[in-house]
Amino acid sequence: MAELIEPQVFHKQTRSVWKPRTLLPGLPEMALLWLPALLVAAAMLLPIIYLLLRAGGADLPAWQWLLRTRTLEILGRTILLVIGVTSAAMVVAVPLAWLTVRTDLPLGRLWSILIPLPLVIPSYVGAYLFVSALGPRGLLQSWLEAWFGVTRLPDIHGLPGAVIVLTLISYPYIYLSVRAALLKMDPTLEEAARSLGHNLLKTFRRVTLPQLRPAITVGSLLVALYVLRDFGAVSILRYDTFSRVIYIQYRSSFDRASAAALSLILVAMTVVILVLEIRTRGRSLYHSASATASRPLARFSLGAWRWPALIFCAGVTGLALLVPAGLLLYWLVRGILAGEQISNLWLATRNSALASVLAAGFSLLAALPVAVLNVRRPGRLSHLLERVTYVGYALPGIVIALALVFFGANYALSLYQTLPLLIFAYVVLFLPQAVGALRASILQVQPSLEEAGRSLGHGPIRIFQKITLPLISPGVAAGAGLVFLTTMKELPATLILAPIGFKTLASGLWSAVSEAFFAKAAAPALLLILVSSLPMAILIIKDQNKASSQ
Amino acid sequence: MLCRTKIAAVLLVVTLLATACAPAATPTAGQPPESNQDALVEVGGTPADPGSLVIYSGRSESLVEPIIGQFADLTGIQVDVRYGSTAELAATILEEGSNSPADVFFAQDPGGLGAVADAGMLAELPEGLLNRVEARFRSPEGNWVGVSGRARVVVYNTDKLSPEDLPDELNGFGDPKWQGRIGWAPTNGSFQTMVTAMRQVWGEESTSEWLEGILANDPVVYENNTSIVAAVGAGEVDVGFVNHYYLYRFLQEEGEEFPARNYFLPGGGPGSLIMVAGVGRIASGPNEDNALKFIDFLLSPVAQQYFASQTFEYPVIEGIQTQRLLTPLSELDAIDIPLGSLADLQGTVELLQEVGALP
Amino acid sequence: MESYAVKCIHLTKKFGSNFGVQDLSMSVRAGEILALVGPSGCGKTSTLRLIAGFEHPDQGNISLAGRDVSGDRRFVPPEKRGVGMVFQDYALFPHLSVFENVAFGLHECSSEQRKNRVMEMLELIGLADLGNRYPHQLSGGERQRVALARALAPQPVVLLLDEPFSNLDADLRLRMREEIRAVLKNINATAVFVTHDQEEALFMGDRLAVMNQGHLEQIGTPERVFQHPETRFVAEFMGQTDFIPGEVRAEGILTEIGLLPQLVNLPPGENVELAARADDITFDAHALGKSVVIGRQFKGALNIYRLKLPSGRVVHAFQPHTCVIPVGTSVDVYADPGHALACFYQGQAVPVLEEREYLPLGNYSSSRN
Repeated sequence: MAELIEPQVFHKQTRSVWKPRTLLPGLPEMALLWLPALLVAAAMLLPIIYLLLRAGGADLPAWQWLLRTRTLEILGRTILLVIGVTSAAMVVAVPLAWLTVRTDLPLGRLWSILIPLPLVIPSYVGAYLFVSALGPRGLLQSWLEAWFGVTRLPDIHGLPGAVIVLTLISYPYIYLSVRAALLKMDPTLEEAARSLGHNLLKTFRRVTLPQLRPAITVGSLLVALYVLRDFGAVSILRYDTFSRVIYIQYRSSFDRASAAALSLILVAMTVVILVLEIRTRGRSLYHSASATASRPLARFSLGAWRWPALIFCAGVTGLALLVPAGLLLYWLVRGILAGEQISNLWLATRNSALASVLAAGFSLLAALPVAVLNVRRPGRLSHLLERVTYVGYALPGIVIALALVFFGANYALSLYQTLPLLIFAYVVLFLPQAVGALRASILQVQPSLEEAGRSLGHGPIRIFQKITLPLISPGVAAGAGLVFLTTMKELPATLILAPIGFKTLASGLWSAVSEAFFAKAAAPALLLILVSSLPMAILIIKDQNKASSQ
Repeated sequence: MLCRTKIAAVLLVVTLLATACAPAATPTAGQPPESNQDALVEVGGTPADPGSLVIYSGRSESLVEPIIGQFADLTGIQVDVRYGSTAELAATILEEGSNSPADVFFAQDPGGLGAVADAGMLAELPEGLLNRVEARFRSPEGNWVGVSGRARVVVYNTDKLSPEDLPDELNGFGDPKWQGRIGWAPTNGSFQTMVTAMRQVWGEESTSEWLEGILANDPVVYENNTSIVAAVGAGEVDVGFVNHYYLYRFLQEEGEEFPARNYFLPGGGPGSLIMVAGVGRIASGPNEDNALKFIDFLLSPVAQQYFASQTFEYPVIEGIQTQRLLTPLSELDAIDIPLGSLADLQGTVELLQEVGALP
Repeated sequence: MESYAVKCIHLTKKFGSNFGVQDLSMSVRAGEILALVGPSGCGKTSTLRLIAGFEHPDQGNISLAGRDVSGDRRFVPPEKRGVGMVFQDYALFPHLSVFENVAFGLHECSSEQRKNRVMEMLELIGLADLGNRYPHQLSGGERQRVALARALAPQPVVLLLDEPFSNLDADLRLRMREEIRAVLKNINATAVFVTHDQEEALFMGDRLAVMNQGHLEQIGTPERVFQHPETRFVAEFMGQTDFIPGEVRAEGILTEIGLLPQLVNLPPGENVELAARADDITFDAHALGKSVVIGRQFKGALNIYRLKLPSGRVVHAFQPHTCVIPVGTSVDVYADPGHALACFYQGQAVPVLEEREYLPLGNYSSSRN
């Protein structure tokens, strides 16, 4: 997990940093790196091509609609939500990362495992549970009413509720990224600051935080795009965003052309965010601190601040994990006691896990050429290829699904509605996560290691196999874990593209939730969360062991 | 090194698993399927090989799987069902075009059927099937037919209100005394169909006024009917505009003490609309015979009784006993509008956007 | 006929706005250690990487042991060149043990041969019983030795070392220098050694190549380069040098600190510069001396004095550690080189035509004009 996304905080070399190597691509490199990377990028562009084709058919009123003030209002609300959630997620994630890595927080290991877990909760489930538990007439209110006579809690719908729920689900993206950076940071810089008279807070603000900027930015990118594409949570929390408008086009107007036109606006917003991200990320320094025995990180003693810190951690994880899980358990138990039959979910679980594992594997395979090129052959083309993988990330799942329906049914009928096409859809949906994780890992492998290997007589492929791959395998595993869990909870593409009869936990869950069969929904939801958590928990524990043994 | 080989091994095993357990559809039929791989050949009704059928169902699995299973058991046909939301399935069918594997589209509301019909993808159904239901419950072009009815009602909280407190007509809810007490779901298909009926019966102006009247009362917006009923029961709002059958679900799960009941507007206006869930045959679907058999089955007493007693909907054919809490169809002063004419959702959506009910 | 291990002909490589390497031609004999030295950015590491095959030259040829590896049509990739490289950061594979690191280049041997060779190399560097350790468990010096062993194990045509000591502390550096040089000489290895430290270069190299801004300024034995620098830059780079202007005369070169009896092929009256080192100049305390002591640096074994000449020019002079002359003392400064000083005319070295016999101390003093 430590290698998940973009550590990017490294020793400055005393000599001039090496310019990108200028070896001309030989045939193996062309075949193994550039060609696959171009194919991957082309695949990622399929949804965009589909949108362009469809949007061309939108009649004039649709375009006029775009210019209405209400549209601008919606755009404004969407941007507001994006900014709100991203900021809130930063505010939550950065201190959490710092507390678990750099301080002597009690139960540090436990927090390290719990804190990233909210990622496993699907947003439609999370929002629903949140409202049911903490809504103005939800579970909490009914208990409070029984004990304290509180008749109504403050309304959590609208912007506040949307920000809270989306923050709680997406802050782990930033947390994981910042945590990885903190683990690789050079403690001497902070020590220098302390020796110059800066206290803890000042050091954090003036020395630590700037170094964390790349990590924060990259995590925020994922958060921002996630907020754009989310539909489930915002609809339950009654906050109109752009994705909701797109859904209305599909659901109410059955107007795919207008939906496509609106989706293109989303793509435009994505591009803007991508550009902003590059600007704020800054140039990445290559080469991490090498195999030099890093001194064990000095951990600050919190002293009396221990208690507020603990409350903070407990509060966040409680809200993000315990509330949903607890409520689900409550429904489940209540349902069982009322005689509800828990259907056999083994098949659905197996299918979900199978699809997710395959998606993780193929995502990493697809991400490999893109990431390697981006790090080892930095240049305009390789950077462009990496950016292209993000372009569809903000598109709601239904858009990607329909794009693949279009291409699949019309151009690849034998593959249509088969498992391979579904896996392909997952790869298109979640590739950026894999690319980010791989990229971060490869950045940590000094080029000199690979050059040393080559000078010892091994060709580039063997070098990758024997040196690079073993060194990036923790990052590979982390990326796989992330894709695994996001695939587990994916819904719209699964419903539409899965082979008929391919039941998954997500589809079972949705089916029950949409008909308000809560007890029926609880079991698949809990299973989903559990199965998704397993790989993550394993990875985090492994990571912890590695960190403490160093 | 070890880690790498481990990953490789896992992937290999899993890929083998994947190919070995080929994603053959787990059929809803109980009978071992006589596999028919060639989907392009039209299946004859030979008893040895009943053939297959692909249904796209916008109705949820928990509701319709039993009745579909029954059909599969009875006929031995291998039935494959794709469950999803009506709108998304409609969009999928439209994108698939003539390559669509679907034979039947089982939709939650006429809107989805209309959209697919407009693209010319629904086949005209035989007279024999169409004539079994009233004219208002089927498409005027004859390419889809309703199979179960749902009435628009006002669900109200019994702790706070009794039927006398409720107005006779939808118009009554524009009164300021309803401020903050109404729940509605403007994105919901049934609601939009009701508004379309309003536009037909009352005209654009009056409909617009009504909408604005409701909006002036600060209605609480929900995503679907289920949430509204739940909210009414919880006391979050006092009344809601929903379809009738959701309440029964809650009564079943929560018990009779659930403090909400349906109120059927007596006025006979658009608020008393009866809508249908319907089914149509995809013209390019390969299994025409089986598709017609299925539609026939849905309109048979067996299936209709199922809808009446299990899902609490209204049967569309004569002679079926409805649920005891349900006001029989004949007693409802429902408005007589052919649902086929309510296909113009686009206009409704635009109106809703104009008044600000939809973004 | 000597065999050349490495031969570079007109090697040119531009790196954007950097100087890179410009028209470099040089050769390294088998069994010789060539020290490539120069300031940061002079192109020495670029040259190394070109030889190793990590960069494509824009122009020029490289041949290793008589075999063309880089030229107009050919480019042999690094893994096929048989070049061993020791990187500045050692680049030890962190996930492999010391044994596995050293064995990495021996993939073409049988495992028996491999084992023997690895043990042989580990013994050579004195780390025979550390085979099972991992890089992060080693000290800086140990890592460096492992890097060396790893590079040498496959018996490369030439060993390239890229500032291998720059990450070590001072005393370790001195020790490692000696050890490494001993090892290299022991196995008669050919090596190209890059450093920015001229003292290190003087010690390590059988020959020295001084580079500046991509150009090769001079190549030769340490003594030659040190004593007979061919350009002003080399003179300045190698050791602390004071440049003293002088005027060509029939009998020698007249400077402020005396007439130096070296003849150059220039007409009298031309202005030249002489490169004087601290050991070439001496001084006496003299009440009527026109120069003054302005500083003294005690270096343990000797003192280095800074002296201000009447012209205002500052020069340096050694004195034994027992000779302590206070700052501010008036002194007489004069040249006492014992050999011809390097002479530069417009930046280029001017060869000395004839070295007259040097008369003993005291005959040429500024105060006796």
